[in-house]
Amino acid sequence: MNRPTTVAEAVAEQAESAGRRGARRLLPVVDEGHLSVVGVVVPWNRRATLVVTAALVLVLTALVLSLTLGRLGVALADLPAVLRGEGSKTEHFVVFTNRLPRALVGVCAGAALGISGAIFQSVTRNPLGSPDIIGLNAGAAAGAAAVTLVWPGILPAPVGALLGGAVAVTLVLLGAGRGLQAPLRMVVIGIGVGAMSLAFVQFAITRTRREQAQEMAAWLNGSLNARSWEHVTIIAVALVVLGAAALALSRGLQQVEMGDDAAVALGVPARRVRLLAVSVGVGLAAAAVVVCGPVAFVALVAPQVARRVTGSAGPGMVAAGAAGALLLVGADLVAVHQPWFGSLPVGVLTAGIGGLYLAVLLTREWRRGTL
Amino acid sequence: METWNPVTGTENPGPRRAEGTTSPSEPVTSGEAPAVAPVRGTGLRLAYDQRVVVDGLDVEIPAGSFTVIVGPNGCGKSTLLRALGRTLTPRAGHVDLYGEPLASLGNKQIARMLALLPQTPVAPEAITVRDLVGRGRYAYQTLLRQWSASDGVAVRAAMEATGTTDLADRKVSELSGGQRQRVWIAMVLAQDTDLLLLDEPTTFLDITHQVDVLDLCAQMHREGRTLVAVLHDLNLAARYATHMIAMRDGEVVATGTPHEVVTAEGVEEIFGLRCRIITDPESETPLVVPLVTR
Repeated sequence: MNRPTTVAEAVAEQAESAGRRGARRLLPVVDEGHLSVVGVVVPWNRRATLVVTAALVLVLTALVLSLTLGRLGVALADLPAVLRGEGSKTEHFVVFTNRLPRALVGVCAGAALGISGAIFQSVTRNPLGSPDIIGLNAGAAAGAAAVTLVWPGILPAPVGALLGGAVAVTLVLLGAGRGLQAPLRMVVIGIGVGAMSLAFVQFAITRTRREQAQEMAAWLNGSLNARSWEHVTIIAVALVVLGAAALALSRGLQQVEMGDDAAVALGVPARRVRLLAVSVGVGLAAAAVVVCGPVAFVALVAPQVARRVTGSAGPGMVAAGAAGALLLVGADLVAVHQPWFGSLPVGVLTAGIGGLYLAVLLTREWRRGTL
Repeated sequence: METWNPVTGTENPGPRRAEGTTSPSEPVTSGEAPAVAPVRGTGLRLAYDQRVVVDGLDVEIPAGSFTVIVGPNGCGKSTLLRALGRTLTPRAGHVDLYGEPLASLGNKQIARMLALLPQTPVAPEAITVRDLVGRGRYAYQTLLRQWSASDGVAVRAAMEATGTTDLADRKVSELSGGQRQRVWIAMVLAQDTDLLLLDEPTTFLDITHQVDVLDLCAQMHREGRTLVAVLHDLNLAARYATHMIAMRDGEVVATGTPHEVVTAEGVEEIFGLRCRIITDPESETPLVVPLVTR
């Protein structure tokens, strides 16, 4: 037979020969950038896999360090025994009541924020797109301020935060209109809604007694202090459910990055994918806000770092999640155990890192002339 | 006579299929080109927000043609193409694909029959040529089966046909305008459809690359595809088209062969340009020469 000249002929010939060979292989095979295992075929990028594996190892290391560091830390040698339920009462308390929930909330919330940021950056086609930008965090802060300072006790702070965030995002989505086709409009309206929310928070703080205001200020920074297993459950469930949804959506989302027309022509219902993705992104960020307050910049920085380190195109949900987890749990480790200021809320540190990173990013874009 | 589908030819005159994909119930005749048009728009009303661009328009793309839509800026030609390629939903009327209303077909099902290259697609940051071309295969993949051997074959054949094989590992952002357009065409080619819609594929290209892209289009047409393109340059349109649709103010004012559409009266009516028509000495197609008005 002649060499195939058209796409269709080539495909038909291949299908025929595959039929003769009897297709499905059982052992995992990596071929043409894809991994196939028992009929399931997913993209496979060696560099991304290495990066994610390394990040997960580091997260695990940070988890262990968070249990062993400091005056009350459990010695590394004793850790397996304590985790099995042996060891002294103090050790048990330190690990299971104090430190493990905190570290796990950090890991899960970091991952949730990373994935959320990846979604927003993909949807807005903008490296600065993140749930912070569209006013989710500011709205959550306003909600929390409303239920703790202005009308104390009508709702628990996390519920207030969730409602506030939901209101802010709804305003932004309604304002942006057109099935979120204009990401820039979303960002501009988000800035407005965010500014109004923060004004409300300032208003609430100036009106209240100092201790309460201080407590509020600590929450506003984003903190992993005194997390319980309840918090772990909330964020873990959100991460598993919404994270899976994000993974499923990421294929459509990467097509939408080429523009709505291109995506639709390729068979992706662009509007529906984007609306679902934004909902998932908001859900993940909201769950994180509920368990640890509006931690700044993780959602912005994690997906950026992930994209650059893996060098891959597309949202890269897994890598962004791993980067977010590492960033938050690492930052918390430093915030708690740094020797200079006593224990700091983790948000102070992530804001510091994030600000620095943002400056570097903007400078680079500016130098390249893309800003 | 022009065979409508030389690839699957006598067995199945419907859209070519890579593998056992479901097909809409287009009539299966043997050998003869089917009468049913690949795309037909009926009573189309097309609008952006409140602004109605096209109203009550009927249009049919002949099977096996290289149809070029021409007209002055803002006449609705790109809007019409977007509606035919279902990236713009008509406010009224309907588009039929091989006789089936678009609304009755699934997203991926349509994408296996019709490919569209928009005017300004965005190449994702850091994407390589191979990966971008691979994205044309979306409609053949599922969540659990995101790649198959036929995808690889289609991507290689598409890169081969567009002369982009050597660029496979390059980043799309590093390419020149002409190379980039070839890569985008490779992407829609990888979609393996019989019907290809191109929205101003030559915009922003210099004359050499315009001809280069149109030669590529002509080659795809010779291989048996039906092509529909929106073009700005009337002379290039007349040179490559087998069928032309001329639009003005949201209406079709002329259809037919280049010789029928590109006449002195026609051009004056459509573009308001007074001109002489001479015969292109190279291709023997009509060539528009504007009159000197100074």
